[in-house]
Amino acid sequence: MSAAVTEEARPATPPPAVRDPAERRARASQSFWSAVVGVPAIFSVLRLGVEAGGELQTTLLLVANVGTVNLLAGFLTTAARLLSTGLVATFALGAVLRVSVERMPATVRRPLLARWVDVTPAWFAVASFLLALITWQLLYLPLLVPAFVAAFQLTPARLHERRIPRLLILAGLLVGYAWLLAPTLVDAARQREWLAVALLAAPPLLALWITGPLPGAVIRPLASITEAAVLATLVWAALPVISTPVLPLTVTTVESAPGVTEDIRGHVVTTDDVSMVLLQDRGGVRYVPTDQVRAQVLCPGEEELPRHRLRIHDFHVDDSLLEGLGRRVRPVHRIDAACRAVG
Amino acid sequence: MSDVTARHRLRSVATTLAVALTLTLAAAAGCDNRKDPPLPSVLDKLRESHIDGQPKIKIGVATTEPLMGELRNGVHGGFDVEIARYLAAFLGFAGDQRIEWVSLATEDRIPALQGGVVDLVVSSFSMTEEREKLVSFAGPYFVTTQEVMVPVRLKNRIRTIEDLRRPEYRICTSGGSTTEAELEKHDVKAYVVKEVGDCVRGIREGRYDAVSTDETILAGFLSLYPKEFEIVDMPFGTSELLGVGVPIGDPALRDLVAFALQKSYLQGRSGLSSPWLTAYNRTLGPWLKADKSQPQPLNVPKLVDFDDKAPVR
Repeated sequence: MSAAVTEEARPATPPPAVRDPAERRARASQSFWSAVVGVPAIFSVLRLGVEAGGELQTTLLLVANVGTVNLLAGFLTTAARLLSTGLVATFALGAVLRVSVERMPATVRRPLLARWVDVTPAWFAVASFLLALITWQLLYLPLLVPAFVAAFQLTPARLHERRIPRLLILAGLLVGYAWLLAPTLVDAARQREWLAVALLAAPPLLALWITGPLPGAVIRPLASITEAAVLATLVWAALPVISTPVLPLTVTTVESAPGVTEDIRGHVVTTDDVSMVLLQDRGGVRYVPTDQVRAQVLCPGEEELPRHRLRIHDFHVDDSLLEGLGRRVRPVHRIDAACRAVG
Repeated sequence: MSDVTARHRLRSVATTLAVALTLTLAAAAGCDNRKDPPLPSVLDKLRESHIDGQPKIKIGVATTEPLMGELRNGVHGGFDVEIARYLAAFLGFAGDQRIEWVSLATEDRIPALQGGVVDLVVSSFSMTEEREKLVSFAGPYFVTTQEVMVPVRLKNRIRTIEDLRRPEYRICTSGGSTTEAELEKHDVKAYVVKEVGDCVRGIREGRYDAVSTDETILAGFLSLYPKEFEIVDMPFGTSELLGVGVPIGDPALRDLVAFALQKSYLQGRSGLSSPWLTAYNRTLGPWLKADKSQPQPLNVPKLVDFDDKAPVR
């Protein structure tokens, strides 16, 4: 009898349903890092196909000429914003869910985002926020405040243990923020850009209440909805990133016969002694004899047009901090006439 | 105890609300980021305008008005021509190889625009209500006044509008110009010829005694014969606003030209060298009595352009 009990108590292999916390953490960690590394890698390759206009031979031409480093650098330049948005959303929502499920019974399965937050080192979260800080457009940057406060669960109580000094510090911070943005807010109100007003004014106030556990009834739907929403948003936001060109846009003036010039709008794939290979903006590849090339200018793409007419202390709200600083280093940007000539 | 529970509950409701509102704002920001710019861009307007896709832009200019529009050794020059070059470059036609210069006499400017002979007229074209019924104007790019130029021998005798009315003086002006109407308003009988140059030649040959037109055109002839003529300041009153003539059926092109002029105006106002200032200093500047600056263009549309994000301070 006792032998039978002992035999039952020591199963040869643990049943698959039972997993120890260490294994769970390892699996969560694996899935998280796979997403962080895999998504950009897949995107980079997908982009080449889109860039080539869906043509197999053109894709192969690009693969042959665009180096891995160039591809990765090009990807980071255009997708850093998307990448940091995904990470910031994950950390902020994950932290809110984590602190909420801590109050729940242990039998409740922890939401995926909360598990991801468990396995991510703090430095990685901080780095993601820093990347967002320098790559997000200034208009959306205030959203980083509640996201940061949520991700690190910085309750106002952590500012000071006594009530009065805490309120004074908070008031000081809010007044400083209002002073920084007041001219822009007035301008936005005058232009009836109410979304801009909300985006600039509301986030610091929301940050005051965003910490803390959510009611039990909200956690389950919030977890599943936000997981789906983060994924959907990433896919939705990824489409423009996939279609953002890898190569810079140029207009090349070609003189095919004496006195006959033609402007070709497109991306230079490669140049050698014999020909310049151009991926045309309207599709197709052109091999232009190098000695026929008369001029070449760099042109801005239409997606770079500003969407708002607001500035925060002379920084355009559609610029990120990095772009804004760059414009201060090289302030004058002339658009070459050739960029307008061909549509 | 129940007080603490109530406070906890309130707190968690506030958190829920804050999380929900932040997510809503983030979603709104995502949509906002994907929408098209609310204002038309320069490229949109270019696509709307009739010059889109043309290999060259046809610009009507004067060829016989020194300092404003002249043809010397086969090269067009002058203030109007420099402004026209700037506008052409803004519209995507950089360099003289992309511009077809059409030489226009004063009275041919409106028919040329109406008949599609030219896409733009930059030729001391005064913006008047009458003309605005027939063509569109972008501008003004220059404010000038009507003056009278007399040969040096008459500089002490012709000093006032009253003197111009005296029958012994033969006053000359060009046809189809605002000067003609202005002289008529002041009861000054004038000989009307095709070009101001004909008047100047006439005075030098003794057929006329004075020529009246815009101060800019007169400054041009003064620059040719600085020792023979003098400009007399007369109170004709109305100032002339020179604008760029555009076909009335192409509001997009008018908007683009006005926007280009505004761009130059803003550059000049912020203390930078502007295309206007460069053109002025190279041509009219040294010959006008008082220094001028670019007037603010009227009815400038709000357009977005690639360089809008550049710092303004």
